[in-house]
Amino acid sequence: MRFNKRLGVLAGVAVAALFLVACGGNQSSSSTDTKTWSRMEGDVISSMDSAVVTDAISGQALVDTMDGLYRYAGSDLQPAMASKIVTPTNDGKTYTFKLRDAKWSNGDPVTAQDFVFAWKRAIDPKTKSQYAYLFSGIVNADDIMAGKKAASTLGVKAIDDKTFEVTLDHAIPYFGTMMVNPVFFPQNQKVVEKAGKNYGTNSDNIVSNGPFILKNWNGTGNSWNEVKNKDYWNAKNVKLNKINVQVIKDPSTAMNLYQSGKLDDATLSGAQAAQAKTMKDVTALKQATTFYLELNEKKTPALKNEKLRQAISMSLNRKEFIDKVLQDSSVAPTGLVPENLAKNPTTGEDFSKEAAKTTSQYTKYDKTEAKKLWSEGLKETNVKSLNLELLTDDTDVAKKSSEYFQSALEDLPGLKLTISSVPFKTRLTRSQNGQFDMVISAWGADFPDPITFLDMFTSSNSYNNGKWSNADYDKLIADSKGKDATNPEARWNDLLKAQEILTKEQGIIPIYQRAQTHLVNKKMHDLQYSPANMYNFVNAYLK
Amino acid sequence: MIKYILKRVGYLILTLFLVASITFFLMKLLPGTPFNNPKLPPDQIEALKAQYGLDKPVWQQYLSYMLGLLHGDMGMSFQFSGQSVSYLIMSRIGPSLQLGLQAMILGTLLGILLGAVAAIRKNTWVDSVATIFAILGRSIPNFVFAALLQFFLAYKLRLFPIALWDGFSSSILPTIALAMAPLANTARFMRTEMVDVLNSDYIELARSKGETRWQTVANHALRNSMIPIVTIIGPMAVDLMVGSLVVENVFAIPGIGEQFVKSITTNDYPVIMGLTIMYSFMLTVVILIVDILYGVIDPRIRLNEEAN
Amino acid sequence: MADAKLSPDLFKRVTVDSTEKEKITTPALTFTQDAMRRLRQNKVAIVSLWVIIIIAIVSVMTIFISPANPNKGSLAYTNLPPKIANWNIPGFNGYQDGVDKYAGLGKNVWFALGTDYLGRDLLSRIFVGTRVSLIIALVATLFDLTIGVTYGIISGWLGGRIDTVMQRVIEIVSSVPNLVVAILMLLVFKPGMTSIILAIGLTGWITMARLIRAQTLQLRDQEFILAAKTVGESGGKIALKHLVPNLSSIIIIQTMFTIPMAIFFEAFLSYIGIGLPAPTASLGTLLSDGQKALQTQPYQLIYPAIVIVVLMLAFNLLADGLRDAFDPKSQR
Repeated sequence: MRFNKRLGVLAGVAVAALFLVACGGNQSSSSTDTKTWSRMEGDVISSMDSAVVTDAISGQALVDTMDGLYRYAGSDLQPAMASKIVTPTNDGKTYTFKLRDAKWSNGDPVTAQDFVFAWKRAIDPKTKSQYAYLFSGIVNADDIMAGKKAASTLGVKAIDDKTFEVTLDHAIPYFGTMMVNPVFFPQNQKVVEKAGKNYGTNSDNIVSNGPFILKNWNGTGNSWNEVKNKDYWNAKNVKLNKINVQVIKDPSTAMNLYQSGKLDDATLSGAQAAQAKTMKDVTALKQATTFYLELNEKKTPALKNEKLRQAISMSLNRKEFIDKVLQDSSVAPTGLVPENLAKNPTTGEDFSKEAAKTTSQYTKYDKTEAKKLWSEGLKETNVKSLNLELLTDDTDVAKKSSEYFQSALEDLPGLKLTISSVPFKTRLTRSQNGQFDMVISAWGADFPDPITFLDMFTSSNSYNNGKWSNADYDKLIADSKGKDATNPEARWNDLLKAQEILTKEQGIIPIYQRAQTHLVNKKMHDLQYSPANMYNFVNAYLK
Repeated sequence: MIKYILKRVGYLILTLFLVASITFFLMKLLPGTPFNNPKLPPDQIEALKAQYGLDKPVWQQYLSYMLGLLHGDMGMSFQFSGQSVSYLIMSRIGPSLQLGLQAMILGTLLGILLGAVAAIRKNTWVDSVATIFAILGRSIPNFVFAALLQFFLAYKLRLFPIALWDGFSSSILPTIALAMAPLANTARFMRTEMVDVLNSDYIELARSKGETRWQTVANHALRNSMIPIVTIIGPMAVDLMVGSLVVENVFAIPGIGEQFVKSITTNDYPVIMGLTIMYSFMLTVVILIVDILYGVIDPRIRLNEEAN
Repeated sequence: MADAKLSPDLFKRVTVDSTEKEKITTPALTFTQDAMRRLRQNKVAIVSLWVIIIIAIVSVMTIFISPANPNKGSLAYTNLPPKIANWNIPGFNGYQDGVDKYAGLGKNVWFALGTDYLGRDLLSRIFVGTRVSLIIALVATLFDLTIGVTYGIISGWLGGRIDTVMQRVIEIVSSVPNLVVAILMLLVFKPGMTSIILAIGLTGWITMARLIRAQTLQLRDQEFILAAKTVGESGGKIALKHLVPNLSSIIIIQTMFTIPMAIFFEAFLSYIGIGLPAPTASLGTLLSDGQKALQTQPYQLIYPAIVIVVLMLAFNLLADGLRDAFDPKSQR
């Protein structure tokens, strides 16, 4: 009976496999620990070396485990390693930071030399930091980046262990807000040099001075933990013991995990975001990122016509687009600079709201007016029809957006759009080389000041892919950096006027300000979200 | 036989060399820079390129890359700063290999069983049920199937973990989702071959010698029907690689598959090349093993190969 | 029983005409006629064939008559569940979770299979999607047949050094993951149908070639081939007259693998976001959009899924029928 043996073994193994499959269902339910928080990210940590990090995920992990000079509590800048918020001297060109007593997680004290070391290391071309350009404006920074001077000549110095001094070439009104960016965080020279090129590549090769300590991160993995740092200077206000982070890429998986209690905070998009909006624990996190259309005026000269651009803008029903296509909590913008980014230095009014007072009609949906402007524009430019290519990323959201724009804009008589979706890098290259007619671009703030957005669309700026140009605009931006740099009110008005010009002419066509839809467990209290798009877990508690 | 295997290993090295070279030059055709910050000023991009050696002539980059490969050095990832490609692969390959193996074993065993039963009970309801089951397994894309499994078995019925990589129980649903393709392919091939074999003269001879139907199946039909299954193991391994990408995404598994597409869309050249070479290596090894197995199962082929 | 007496006059001499002897009583059939006859007897295969023909005709006809514009929707009609007229058929009455989603849209507004996130008619999109997926599958299959079969036969038949070289080429080509090839195609050429077809075609023929070669290796030493050789038939003639019929089952089965594989690969590319450019629909893009809405608008996944499953079942059952019909060994 050879058969029975062989087929029997085969059947046995298969049945055993099925049995295993069927019986593996038992699992431990998530801990109901009152001091543990489980959240998700859409991608992995790329590095924990604060000098080279550019992405938001690594940025959040650094904000959780490190402390820079300042820290955001909501939209308020608060002193962290610095003992107070510093007012610059010497016409806004010198900053002297007094450091508070603090310790690294290996017991070393945090000193001014740690800042000097970190900054000089970050700007050194050998470090390959993609954020080095943020140092521009500090004495010698530009020359160091260009390789003309050594990194040691950067205009920073440690006057003593607790005094850190920065010297600028010219006043930078938003310099203080930049200090929350991880590239300006201190680094422990001893640890960095000992780890060499392995610094920041896993949780054993880093040292922290922040509220939490990173654990169980192997450098490439999909999960990690952040455990409370008992030696943190402000440890008494850190009320969470542990944060578990898990990478989840599929929004329906995120939704399923949240609903079964495996996640306390889920980031959702598309259909899941729409579903979440009907639930009571939904939260919208507005981000300082604006999506906009750029029109290539160089390639298609007809688009130099203001009325054609205004017609395109008014054909877009932004609110409906956000509700139905994006389905998340995004905001219909009234201009390039997003909401909640900056406040009027005297009245406290929001920048985008103040600028919208005179220009909101240009971003309002008005089909009749759009068609009227469109036909006038066509007449003025002597063009009968326009065949344009709409360049976008190949992400799900970008594709859906482009489908909507195609269908909405083809209501304008004579306008024909073809969609070209390409990978992100390809889109960037083609935008920069001017190989597009119309492109969906996005810009996120490096620091919360309108200039980070408005600077891009001066005539000579290399990010001005569409080549829109306006002399008044250029002058206002130049004034804000030059003669009005130390006068907050005059500077504010320069920027305000610039945004009004840009919106009126629709030099770029704003589409939406991104806001993430989150489901957040109701037991969380006092969790703040900053204009730099980061959570601050200090002070947050569960109840 | 040993001489034959040595010769094949030689070819394997040649193959890998060619694959590495072709991929290297294809990567150079990709547009865009590998730096992931859209705000980098152009002069900074040039400076960064110089730091990564990307400003050198292509042949120099090629030479230094190939020399590195000889030492097992696949370069450093652009996306993960300070992380070597070999470490990235090593640290993420475990879950992918485990899932792939589990799915392959589950899929082929069930497939052989299903196909054999269908062939023996040809043209009965057993056959129809087995056939339709096998076809259905190939008719639903695995991203849909994975989502359905997750939604009904894990979310609604709470039989399995919804996602994440946490012990054997969390690997069950992904394994089932992955196993559908090899299961369907194997079942189908098995049935086809088995029907052929059962119709052949030597089975009739065996039957006429007095062996029962089941004895002939066990002694002759099974072994002879398994030959074509060996030939599809290679392609099935490719299917599993592609499938693992989707399944890893849906179940949030820290494997190598999901990293692959990401490295392509982020122009992480060293990772793309490293993964391509690794996939190629695994494939060529699978094919080599298949060819040797083929010789073991069917002596006629071995004789042919050795004569060459 | 008593002995029967046999006398010579009980027997009659029969003379058989020598021409009668050669007469064939059943009608003469060519190989193909014979195969078609056997195919016609297989009801399941015939039904499947008709299903495929009907799906193909419908998907072509809807170029000219479609219920709605498949690429243009109205945001007033987004994510509506299926509804057919005002007939109130359960599942097609416009209700979802007990809520009439059509409330306030007017009496004459209804979509048989509902709408998607842009308010586009799902039925029209399924028509287009089926057409696009079929075209991709058929063209990619053509690659498979022509390149794969020729390559496999040449390699297996000639053997020796040529075979070795050809096998090395196959190994190298198949060692580059098809995903990389696909993405390079999509980057070097414009993303679109042609690039996807090229990507699938250029990687799909390998399995076919390998199987054909293996089978040819087995066949070439069999008696009937030897006989043909001894009679002095040319290589090409042997390949066509003796090899291809004997390879037909493998060719047909592998072809039937290629069609779903091509449709699947396209779906897979859509899922990871490098599929057909918007707004073109294919079964792949419909399924990958539908998958994301599984919890909230399940009908957006179910109907495209039904179409793809019916298509696959039909192709496979037809393949079974064809196999039985064409394979000389499986005479009934």
